[in-house]
Amino acid sequence: MRWLARSYLALVYLLLYVPIAVLIVFSFNDSRTGYNWGGFSLRWYESLFNNHAMVQAMWNSLWLALTAATVSTCIGALTALALHRYRFRGKKVLNGMLFVVMMSPEIVLAISLLGLFLLLGLKLGYVSLLLAHVTFCLPFVVITVMARLSGFDERLPEAARDLGASDFTMTRTVLIPVIMPALMAGWLLGFTLSMDDVVVSTFVSGPSYEILPLRIYSMVRVGLKPEVNALGTLLLVFSLVMLMLSQWILSRSKQ
Amino acid sequence: MMLSIKQQPFRAAVLVLVWGWLLFLVLAPNMLVVGASVMTRDPSTFISLPLNLDAYRQLFNPLYLEVFLHSLYMAAITTLICLLIGYPFAWALSRVDKRRQMLLIFLLIVPFWTNSLVRTYALKLILATNGLLNSALISLGVLDEPAQLLYTEGAVIVGLVYLLLPFMILPLYSVFEDLRQDVLLASHDLGAGRLATFKNIIVPLTLPGVLAGVMLVLLPAMGLFFVPDILGGSRNLLVGNVIKNQFLDARNWPFGAAASIVLTLTMALLMFAHRLSKRRLGEEDA
Amino acid sequence: MKKLALAGLLALGLTGCSSDDPQVLNLYNWSEYMPQEVLTRFEEETGVKVVYTTYDSNEAMYARLKLLDESAAYDLAVPSTYYVSKMRNEGLLLPIDHSKISGFDQLDPELTGLNIDPENQYSVPYLWGTTGIGVDTADIEGEPVTAWEDLWDERFKGRVNLTNDMREVFHMGLRVLGYSGNSTDPQQIEEAYEKLTELMPSVRTFNSDAPRMPFLEGEADVGMIWNGEAVMGKDSMEALEYVYPKEGVIAWLDSFVIPKNAKNPEAAHQFISFVLQPEIAALISEDIGYATPVLSARELLGDEVAGDRASYPKPEDMVNAEFQADIGDEALQVYAKYWEKLKSGL
Repeated sequence: MRWLARSYLALVYLLLYVPIAVLIVFSFNDSRTGYNWGGFSLRWYESLFNNHAMVQAMWNSLWLALTAATVSTCIGALTALALHRYRFRGKKVLNGMLFVVMMSPEIVLAISLLGLFLLLGLKLGYVSLLLAHVTFCLPFVVITVMARLSGFDERLPEAARDLGASDFTMTRTVLIPVIMPALMAGWLLGFTLSMDDVVVSTFVSGPSYEILPLRIYSMVRVGLKPEVNALGTLLLVFSLVMLMLSQWILSRSKQ
Repeated sequence: MMLSIKQQPFRAAVLVLVWGWLLFLVLAPNMLVVGASVMTRDPSTFISLPLNLDAYRQLFNPLYLEVFLHSLYMAAITTLICLLIGYPFAWALSRVDKRRQMLLIFLLIVPFWTNSLVRTYALKLILATNGLLNSALISLGVLDEPAQLLYTEGAVIVGLVYLLLPFMILPLYSVFEDLRQDVLLASHDLGAGRLATFKNIIVPLTLPGVLAGVMLVLLPAMGLFFVPDILGGSRNLLVGNVIKNQFLDARNWPFGAAASIVLTLTMALLMFAHRLSKRRLGEEDA
Repeated sequence: MKKLALAGLLALGLTGCSSDDPQVLNLYNWSEYMPQEVLTRFEEETGVKVVYTTYDSNEAMYARLKLLDESAAYDLAVPSTYYVSKMRNEGLLLPIDHSKISGFDQLDPELTGLNIDPENQYSVPYLWGTTGIGVDTADIEGEPVTAWEDLWDERFKGRVNLTNDMREVFHMGLRVLGYSGNSTDPQQIEEAYEKLTELMPSVRTFNSDAPRMPFLEGEADVGMIWNGEAVMGKDSMEALEYVYPKEGVIAWLDSFVIPKNAKNPEAAHQFISFVLQPEIAALISEDIGYATPVLSARELLGDEVAGDRASYPKPEDMVNAEFQADIGDEALQVYAKYWEKLKSGL
């Protein structure tokens, strides 16, 4: 049973990583078009690093994804807690609005948000992108946290309250630890969505703040340029390094 | 209200923040969409007065119904496949010891930081007639000549599953994480077989995760228009493609807005029907 | 409290991004449609920093320029053929100050003064090209392909590529029937639709991102392709030929325009003059694979480029060629209806 489960995990990971492996291999391909092998080369990495606009866009994107994921996790978690714990008027409306965000085709969300920002005279750039990204990440966080809360023993917070804890203290000491895995999952989803979004960003970004997905989108549309493979590889390596670093810090702090 | 602020400042702050955000960034723009849907299309300003329901009338065209049903069908297949792969996966994942679990979850998400478009193109490299899969199958002697894999319905579904699988796995994992081993042991001790335990204990306890996963996969699967564009040769249209075309190519904003509203309402109806049927079965509605 | 929080949030962000530096040129262009080298050289020569933002369809560019106000302004955009007249008529453009442009007299007279902008008051040509037929000569047998009509041939069943562009596909359908590719007659458009439905079983894919790719992937043997794409595709696939169909190619011209909200029209003029220099124009044509309208640049091009019939057609290739024109909103709706029917009635 145990080895069966393990090999199943391994199989799914294998399938998930095959396209990534292809991507990495082809980033070292000397040939200009993806389909034939023209020898090993680093020239796509070189041309990538010489592209300052691209490097700038990458930093912009990372910063945006980081902040959007964090803000949406905070607001999303609070929303889920409110929906789960509080009785208040308009609860269904609130639920409904979250649902609408998820359901709206991106292009509609994009144009409606653009319409709003234009009405308000908000300059398009980092702020408009952040507001838009947090908004479309929000329901994903809420749903993930709600799923966790619905399996949660209701008597625990009651007990905490009976012991004299304030609402805030109870949330901090009882609820937050319980929903921690969901918060992490939600944050990761948010980060991923933000790094990936093309449609909404196309509309709500201005020339002053260009982000990576838009660059990538315009590059891949004209045929898979090997620079894109190189970029994908770099993003992957960067994430893996971050991951190992955090693991290392965690294990250190435990000892 | 004043009283409750004094009594529960935290609760009030949370509610104000949440409501404020949603009213400002969800309700307001969506009101704009509703507004647009009842306006008249205008070649130079996109939308203009007078108000009318023409856009909604246009929706009854059988063509759009067909596209909608096809899109729903593709999304449903995608969701089903994600569930079939993701459910045992999340289970197996939650049984791995805690220290490795974090690592494995990160490994699940990390590929998704390399941008979905780039990965969709990588799939294309694999599925093309001259692509890697065909070459591999031919050199292994499984095939005599390349199979047509790219630009088919199957390719679109493969792409959708590949992009959306983690959105199924993550919520499932978080409920499996919660499934306490002692409950399963108790069930076993009470003489329940594996199948009975699965049916009576595991499935009901993981249902919220399944529902969350289904929502996270089904809805985006209807809108990811670049997947049919890239892997389906722009042929297996999703609802997302139609709406995008209305906003950009045909510049019929009222119609695009109306289509998106009807799509939202239909989905809401489906959800509602689902809840109702659940309630009838006597399950507790969370 | 709500308002306060929001105001704080906004203020926080607004101070973070105020860049009204006059020495920036916001260039809004097609993706991969300007070599990095040209931008770098312009920056070195003038000290104006170029911010290059891209779009992938005229429609997206048009919608954005139309919606955006001064808060996010572009200084230069590159609409295709009839979008110039459309945008001009809707007052979205600033007139070009010809006293600030040098090199305009070097342009091919065939490509200036077109009816999209008769006196080039609002536009300066950048690159031009054609949509014709791409043929993978290694994979097809029998008679050579010479006409749009040949795409309907039985032997190409499931092997045809079309561009994912409503106007272009209908243009072809209309030409096959002997009508103008810019027809606004609903009767003719419907006939073209009927004709195109017969082609649908042969169509493997619609591709307007990089129409050479289906050929390189081995998915298509014949179909619509842009000349620059055919040139690029030939680099990695010798057998890919570009054919000028008898019924006439679709011709288009991409022009520089200055949107009405431009903040730095001065730099925009500077940039246009820079690109019109023969040496720069030649560099662009060589890199991108499309034809430059700067006549004196053609002399600088190697024979390999200037002699390539795909990039620089001979006069006989352009017989029956037609530029796309603005067909007006009413006809556009008719096209859009049949286009969706065509693509989903599979």
